[in-house]
This record gives sequence, structure tokens and C-alpha cells, in this order.
Amino acid sequence: MDTMDCPRARNLLSEYQDSTLDAATEAALTTHLRGCGECASCAGSLLAVRELLRGLPPDPAPPELLARVVAAVEAQGRNARADSASGGTDAARPFLSRLRVPLEAAAAVLLFASVYWYQQSSAPPARPPSGPSSVISSETGKGSSSGPVAVMERAAENPPSGIRLPRGIPKTPKKEESPAAALPRTWAAERLPSVPAVRASTDAERIVPFDPSTGPTADPATGEAPAFQGRRSPEREIAVEVKPENREGAEERIAEAALRLGGVVEWIEHGRGGAAPDVAGSVRVILPEAAAGGFLDELRRVGTVPHEGLPPAIDISAGPWPGTVAYAVRIRVR
Amino acid sequence: MERPGGTERPVDLLVEGFRRGTPGAFEAIVRAHQDRIYSFCARMLSDREDALDAAQEVFLSAWRNLSGFREEAALSTWLLRIAANRCLNRIRRRKSLSEREIPWPGPAGEEDEGFIFQPEDGGADRPDRLAEASEMGEILTEALLRLDPASRWMVLLSDVEGFSYGEIAALADVPVGTVKSRLHRARMAMRRLLSPVA
Repeated sequence: MDTMDCPRARNLLSEYQDSTLDAATEAALTTHLRGCGECASCAGSLLAVRELLRGLPPDPAPPELLARVVAAVEAQGRNARADSASGGTDAARPFLSRLRVPLEAAAAVLLFASVYWYQQSSAPPARPPSGPSSVISSETGKGSSSGPVAVMERAAENPPSGIRLPRGIPKTPKKEESPAAALPRTWAAERLPSVPAVRASTDAERIVPFDPSTGPTADPATGEAPAFQGRRSPEREIAVEVKPENREGAEERIAEAALRLGGVVEWIEHGRGGAAPDVAGSVRVILPEAAAGGFLDELRRVGTVPHEGLPPAIDISAGPWPGTVAYAVRIRVR
Repeated sequence: MERPGGTERPVDLLVEGFRRGTPGAFEAIVRAHQDRIYSFCARMLSDREDALDAAQEVFLSAWRNLSGFREEAALSTWLLRIAANRCLNRIRRRKSLSEREIPWPGPAGEEDEGFIFQPEDGGADRPDRLAEASEMGEILTEALLRLDPASRWMVLLSDVEGFSYGEIAALADVPVGTVKSRLHRARMAMRRLLSPVA
């Protein structure tokens, strides 16, 4: 029996197509769609629109975009270097000159404090103990965890900052060296990223690691887990022959082509033969099926793709997810 | 065959190259993602120069912050989030646009009450004209531009780029239910716009 009216049915169509309705509502809507031609037609055209949008390809970026980005990055890099080069001399002078009066005041305070300390320390030793933070343990002879050394160590690990970062902006690891490390250490508000850098991804874009649950189980006799053999999705091996002068960076060019076509790069193997000793490097990529032909074209720009053993571009083994293909590209130097 | 290095964690080679300071790594990142980012900006902003500026800002922001990118999301997802924010900021700055554009789709239910198209120039965008367009991509882009920006970016991220409702809700700082209802209204609006061809 149809228990749903048309307005409510149409309001639920998106969720119905996303399969996010509860079972009872979904069943009621299914019943309604079977009996209502208008709503069924509406659902069909809505689905068609969504499929059209899903297949909307990206437009090629104008060539000047890359040039503009590269120029802007280089300009910022130059500015950062210039700032750091001038920071020790000219930039320091006005800063110190601005601090002249406070420094003099600080000197007077220090002088007063040292005279006071001298007078106190030369007085008779009948004074109560000072605060706990400066106590030296009589049992261990070591400073307490709240002593000045520990405080300094903690401060080194978590340097205080007067800048409150926006929520979600990750702190840059101090030990990592990167081109971005050359940037000035003071940031204008508009230069801070405007979005959190860490969020969950969509399943469509997440690079899914191999599922450990499919690996072999522990040996009951020894109790030791054998070496995990990761689940391999089907893949097609393709050889690319490159000239020695083009060998450098071939893996990166292949990876870049895969990413440009909407794929992901699972791994790269430099200079290891693997099954074939003449292989100089390998790259495994996963691509949308529709990009398979384009990827082969890109490979032909990197080097020569021998025809032997190469099937038609579309006749490729399936990848790990529906609608994807996987390639293991072997680089050979010829 | 085992993965090299014995680790099961996939690696974005270009990001790793950038972090190691490999020459040309950032340029390769831009090459790899520029089409997708520029397309998103162009569809959001409907102006080539604006889209170029926005896309440039996205990549500059990435250059500044890539060392802190922790790869819990794909780089493309991260870049698209930056792009969405940059485009929305630009749209907010367009006071003239906000005066010119009528927010659409409106509240729930209005889209089925006789709305046809946002009139702009006396009929150049009539459905029959749209249906005559040669490329489906152009038709879709044209239809997307009829949506108000607040709905447009959700449709682009959800239906074109594959973001989940939860991701969009987090990005927009609104409840998931709000995203669902707004997306549904926008899709129904798109359905009406594209009814001659869909």
C-alpha cells in the first residue's frame, strides 16, 4: 500500500539515490515510485542529471596558469631570502633602537635585584625555604621535574607563541626541511591558510592501503605470524623503453601523468629489477578506466611502449575498485 | 611482488619530492592538478581571469603550507577545499554580483513552483537555446551558473568532485542535514534546467 505523498517522495529522492534512507522509508518510497509515474520520471531525470555531473570532465587550464604560479613562487622565495639576508644588520638596528629605553630600565632593575640578592645572601641563614620549584631533592640530588631545566626543556618542545593559529591548521614539524621553510617566520593574517589542512577524504580519492585482513594467519604451531603477503589487485604490466639521457626522472613523469589523469600512484621503485633484471624502475598506478587510453598515450611521451604483449588499451585487467584499472609500469633503458 | 620499502602506506611521490626539495616537484604538482583546480574555479566564478587568479592563489597557498600537509586526505581533495574557500571569498567580495544574482534555488518547494530560468538578457538563455548548445559540458556549466553560489559549490564538490555530505558539512560549517536539503534543492533545480537534454 502506498503510504507516501508526492511532495514528500520528491524531497527524499536524493537520499533515496544515495541509499541513506532508513529501511522503512526506503521501502515506502519504492512502493510509491512503482505506482506514481510522475515521481518515477522525476527520479529518473534526477539520476540522469547526477550522472551527467559526475562525468563532467575538467577543462584544460590555460597555459599561463603554470607560468604565473611558478613566477609567484620564485618571487616569494626571493623575498624570503632577501628578508633573511637583511635580518641580521639593517633590520636589527631599528628594532634595538626602539628597545633602548626598555633595555636601560631593565639594566636598572637587574642592578637593583643583584644588590638585593647580595644583601639577602650575606644575611644569617635563618630563613624559611624558598618555593618548591627551586628545591633540590635531598634524596636524589637531582632537580625536580618542575625545575628551571625541565621548564626550559618543555619550552623547547612546545615553544610558546603569541600567535593563535586558526583551528585545524597543523603545526609545521620543526625538523622538516622544505622549500617552504625559507618563508619568513612572521605571517600576515591573509597569508595563513583559510581551510583546515587535515580532513578525511572521500573514498573515491583516498589511496586505500592493502587490506591486512586478507593476509595469512598466524602459524598455530609456532604462534608466529608469517610475513604478510598483501592482497594484490589485478594489474597489467607495461614496459616503457627510455633512452639513457631520458632515464632521470622517468618515474616522476609517469607518476605525474597518472595524477593528471585522475589516478593515484601506489608506489615507485627506483633502480630495482624485481622479476626482470633489466628493469631500471617501476611505478604502480591506479586509474579510472576512462583514462586508460590517455595514460598509454602519456607513456608514449615518456618513452617507447613496445607492442609485444600489449593488449588494446581498453582491454586491461580491472583495478582494485570498480571502474579502475591498475598498471605496473616497468622502465627499461635502451 | 611486495611493495618496496616494506611499507603498506601509499606515497604521493610529488608531495614527497617537494618535501625533499626535489627541483621541479612543485611544478609537477601544479601540472598534475591545474586542470581540475582551474575547472572548479572557472565553474564557480564564471570568469576566466577571476578563475586564473583564484587558481593561482590556491597553488600559492599550497606551496606555503604543503610541508604541513599530513596526507590524511588526497592532495587533490585538499586543493579543492582551498579552491572552494577562495572562490567563495571572491564571490562574497563581488557586491555587484550579489545585487545582480537572485538566490536560487530558494526555500524548499519553490523550485517546483513554476521557476524556469534566471532572466539575464532577454531570452538568450532560454531552455531551447541551451538545448541547442553543442557540448554537454557547456550545457552543464551553463546550468551550474544559474545556481546561486552557495548551492553551486556544493553541487560541484558533491556531484562533480565526489565529496561526501560530511566533508561538505565540515567545510561549510553547517549540519549534514542542511547540506543534504540544499543539495537536493539544487539538484532538482538542475533537473529542471536540464530537462530538455537530460
